[in-house]
Amino acid sequence: MQATFKVYRFDRETGGKPGFQSYALDLPEDATVLDGLFKIREEMDGSLGFRASCNRGLCGECTLRINRGGRLACITRIASVLTKDREVSVEPVRNVLVLKDLVYDVETLLWKKIKSVRPWLDPARPEPEREYVVPDEKLRPVRNAMKCYYCGLCDEGCSVIPFDKTFVGPAALTKAYRFVSDPRDGARAARLRALGEPRGIWDCVHCFEADEHCPRGIEPTQRIVDLRDAAVAAGIKSGTKNPQVARHYDSFAASVRKSGWLDEGRLALETWGVRRIFDLLPIAWRAFRRGKLPVPYRHPKRKGAERIARIFEKVQGKHS
Amino acid sequence: MRCAFYPGCVSRGGCPELYPSAIKVAARLGLELEELTDVGCNGAGVLSREVSDPINARTLAKAERLGLSTVMTICSTCTGVMGQANIKLREDPVYRASMNHEFLADEGLEYQGTISVKHLLWILNEDYGLDRLRTAVKRPLRGLKVSPFYGCYIRRPDAIVEGKPQRKQYLERVIEALGAEVVDFGGKGKCCGFPILTANETNSMAMVAAHTGEAKGKGADCMVTPCPLCHLNLDGSQPRAEAQKGEKIDLPILHLPQLIGLGLGFSPEELHMRRHIVSTRAVAETVRLLT
Amino acid sequence: MPRHEVLIVGGGIAGMRAALAAKERGADVALLSKVHPLRTHSGTSQGGINAAMSRDDSPEAHAFDTVKGGDYLADQDTVELLATAASGALVELDHWGVPFNRDGDGRLDLRWLCGAARARACYVDDMTGHAILQVLYEQLLKADIPTYEEWVTTRLVLDEGACVGVVALEMASGSLEAFSANAVVLATGGCARAYEPTGAAYGVAGEGVSLAYRAGATLMDMEMVQFHPLGLRGRGLILTEALLSHGGYLVNGNGDRFALKYAPSYGERAPRDIVARAAEEEILSGRGIQEFVGLDLRHLDGDQVKRQFPLTAHLVKAQAEVNLTTDTVPVRPVAHRTIGGVRVNADGATGVGGLYAAGGCAATGVHGANGLGGDWLLEALIFGQRAGASAAERGQRLSRGVEIQLEEEKRRIAEIADRPASLERAGTIRVKLGQTMRQYVGILRDASGLEQAANTLQELRARSQRAGTTNRGKRYNYELVGSLELESLLTVAEVIAAAARAREESRGVHVRQDHPSRDDARWLSHTLAFRRLEGATLSSKPVVITKWKPEGRRY
Repeated sequence: MQATFKVYRFDRETGGKPGFQSYALDLPEDATVLDGLFKIREEMDGSLGFRASCNRGLCGECTLRINRGGRLACITRIASVLTKDREVSVEPVRNVLVLKDLVYDVETLLWKKIKSVRPWLDPARPEPEREYVVPDEKLRPVRNAMKCYYCGLCDEGCSVIPFDKTFVGPAALTKAYRFVSDPRDGARAARLRALGEPRGIWDCVHCFEADEHCPRGIEPTQRIVDLRDAAVAAGIKSGTKNPQVARHYDSFAASVRKSGWLDEGRLALETWGVRRIFDLLPIAWRAFRRGKLPVPYRHPKRKGAERIARIFEKVQGKHS
Repeated sequence: MRCAFYPGCVSRGGCPELYPSAIKVAARLGLELEELTDVGCNGAGVLSREVSDPINARTLAKAERLGLSTVMTICSTCTGVMGQANIKLREDPVYRASMNHEFLADEGLEYQGTISVKHLLWILNEDYGLDRLRTAVKRPLRGLKVSPFYGCYIRRPDAIVEGKPQRKQYLERVIEALGAEVVDFGGKGKCCGFPILTANETNSMAMVAAHTGEAKGKGADCMVTPCPLCHLNLDGSQPRAEAQKGEKIDLPILHLPQLIGLGLGFSPEELHMRRHIVSTRAVAETVRLLT
Repeated sequence: MPRHEVLIVGGGIAGMRAALAAKERGADVALLSKVHPLRTHSGTSQGGINAAMSRDDSPEAHAFDTVKGGDYLADQDTVELLATAASGALVELDHWGVPFNRDGDGRLDLRWLCGAARARACYVDDMTGHAILQVLYEQLLKADIPTYEEWVTTRLVLDEGACVGVVALEMASGSLEAFSANAVVLATGGCARAYEPTGAAYGVAGEGVSLAYRAGATLMDMEMVQFHPLGLRGRGLILTEALLSHGGYLVNGNGDRFALKYAPSYGERAPRDIVARAAEEEILSGRGIQEFVGLDLRHLDGDQVKRQFPLTAHLVKAQAEVNLTTDTVPVRPVAHRTIGGVRVNADGATGVGGLYAAGGCAATGVHGANGLGGDWLLEALIFGQRAGASAAERGQRLSRGVEIQLEEEKRRIAEIADRPASLERAGTIRVKLGQTMRQYVGILRDASGLEQAANTLQELRARSQRAGTTNRGKRYNYELVGSLELESLLTVAEVIAAAARAREESRGVHVRQDHPSRDDARWLSHTLAFRRLEGATLSSKPVVITKWKPEGRRY
């Protein structure tokens, strides 16, 4: 099988500008992209830098952008990605610092963030003599989250990170979820409080890009939503540095509970308080003049509101 | 075609231009809507699912009670939130039974999993038919350059398109059926930033500026969106986004029913196009010249 | 020059466990790893980890299965130690957070693995190694143990024959650095990259074994190379043998369950050496399905299979384009683990002062002539812990001559890195090495083949010295690392071939077609190899028998 590999090259050492270099290859029919990269390095150009380890889709080391999609090179068959011009483009993932060619800074993209979520079990004391006695279905969410092999594709596809590299990101939050969902962990409330701080769970836009990008079906976005739901159930609706997030939740819930629908005017006021509203006055005035400003508290109670309130009561009853 | 109609909260709140436009357009197209008046906010991705799942199960059960098979929405977020809840209720009979038992039974309701949650955008493409829409167009929007902006919840996660990947092109198809020109751009399926307006305004504004800026840079006269929450940010926050970026954008944002309405022959006034933060005057002018 | 009391070389399960043990003893310990710990080969292990957790099981029963499974070459005292420590190690892992599958009572569920007389393997779906690796890394972070990631250890620093540190190459900068220490624990994995195809990760190039050997340590049982029967068509992804112990069949081209010929009672659940050999013989005699045999799970409850082995089902589809539950899956034996390695005692000591070893690069003697599934992870944990603890006990040492050895190493590496481009390339030689080993030092061996192998290896050694490099850059110079790995692979391959030539019997994984029977009278002993200038010198050491006299091995 003939294929032309267009590989991203960049060497900080020799300076020079990044670019794509073409290599014409002849490989077996079932060859993978990683096979192609090795052929280049071993037979054509020993200076090509790329990472690889397990060669069977289990360790995440060879995560690259292949024909504009994030994948593991070792299990991507060339035949399945070859364009009609018989080309395959290979480059680092997006939104990362490139160190050399296809070797990029995973420390900043991923490892540092993973380390920031207290990523070890904080055992609930006292520990039993033997194994913890736990129903298996309680460990399934833990195992699901632990399928993660840190390919970083969820962070790479995240909507927020290109705008704000300090957002802790779906990979680290999935790691955090692994502990929050583990019945053997004793630090749940503290974790949810820490995760509720800025750059954590409330900074996620729940756009579901992470779910689309995860090659292991872990659904990181759903895990973040699970964390938010767990926080709310524990009465923790923000961290300490972003109290407006908790006020926003409470106000939203209160108006839906009261009238069945959202009272946006009340929401703005209760989230931000009167002082902050002054900053928003120019826009509020413009909105008011266009008849767009919902008047707070003068919110009609819709039919069925008392039924909605009942639902809130029942749910609250579960947590008291 | 007869549907249950779920208007959502914002279409009569922060985007009061949306509801009347939607009603007018539906009537003109011959879509019979039976508005669900005694149901609640679906949670919009804000409320915990512990409370929003039962609220949504109830909404769907109410629609079923009416003998209808489809709930029409006019908001991407409503579509996605209720749609995801619906998928879970449909596919997990144990969960559905527990919702019914715990929350719906005392009202004599029971959701059986037969409802389809569909945005007006999907209904036009799938049930109504674009050919029919084209016939209904009285004022083809020739020369109007429109960028599509979907809103995350109507595109992801993958389950929401229910095996129809073409749903991710419906907005462009409608723009073209109305005679207008699609100005494609990279941000059309991305996030507008609305969900983090409270938590992180800086990031939210940056997203608004990036996507509206990109579309404007590619020559769009306006943007159209099927989501009023996206609208609130892309339109309502545009001035703040401009201030933060230090760049003028000035891209009018239309709701989907407004764009359709213009094509059907309604006037900008009838579609409440003066109620936007970013002036739609230029669009209105262009449209007037087409009559 | 960085200085730590204990240096661990290798960031897999054994290495991290050793690091934690050393830290627990109060040592200033650091870990060097060629790849990030979470990328190590340990993460590919799937099936499970053995322990006599059940009330009607016992360490003694476990030990017997292991001894018999090893075809009576295992040192029985070490096996008993392993089996006795197992349940404690499992409980510790659970307490650290490994989410082992549970049974109906919420207790550790046990899986039946091949060669075991009963179910005794704890597991995490089909990703046991991955889960344990992750949890050990979490504990490493918690213990705040410094790690030097993407550093390739190229040399052991010696002072009067004792190991006092290492020289390592930092991939990010290309510079060489000397680390001094009181003790070094090698945990670099085995040598399975000496074979092609292979089930081992790219980095498993026998470097630790080679380094220890060159520093004067003894290697043991190098001829014992285990092949795994379930190497998937394509990348050679090794499917967990739990698929067989779960009830899967292996069939030949006629649809016959050929394993029953070799193991009438256990069939496919016999120990790996028997099943791999069976598959090899079927394929070579033309009874295979082309060059494969078929893994057949169609008679099992498909939903249950997908629940127990979720990742496997997905990977089989992605890599071989077949359906795990409804198709016959093409598999063939693939080189899996090298049982031999640096000889160590129960405390991980190698005989070279200050040098310890654990995990894939070490030979503790527990596996004998074939390791049972579930005993490998266990060995890495138990003896990794012991090695780390002993290393921590080693007293303070003066390290003399470190600077000189660093300079020597810099010159040596520079010479390799600066070799002019030539027609010979390390990568091509490695493939030839791998093919040679697979053909002549594979599952079925004989004297003439082994002689051929030895000659070819000599030739390849000469070629490797002429192999040129083209990369003049220093940063992330994988070409240079490839050359260094080739050196190690050639060294260990030479010993493997020599040891295989010496052992004139068949036992466990070592099958001599010219000596087809097991010969306890002459060969109930371990093969030892020392390095001399002319090559490996071999000797032997009797197997330690405590409870179980060697018997006929029938499954």
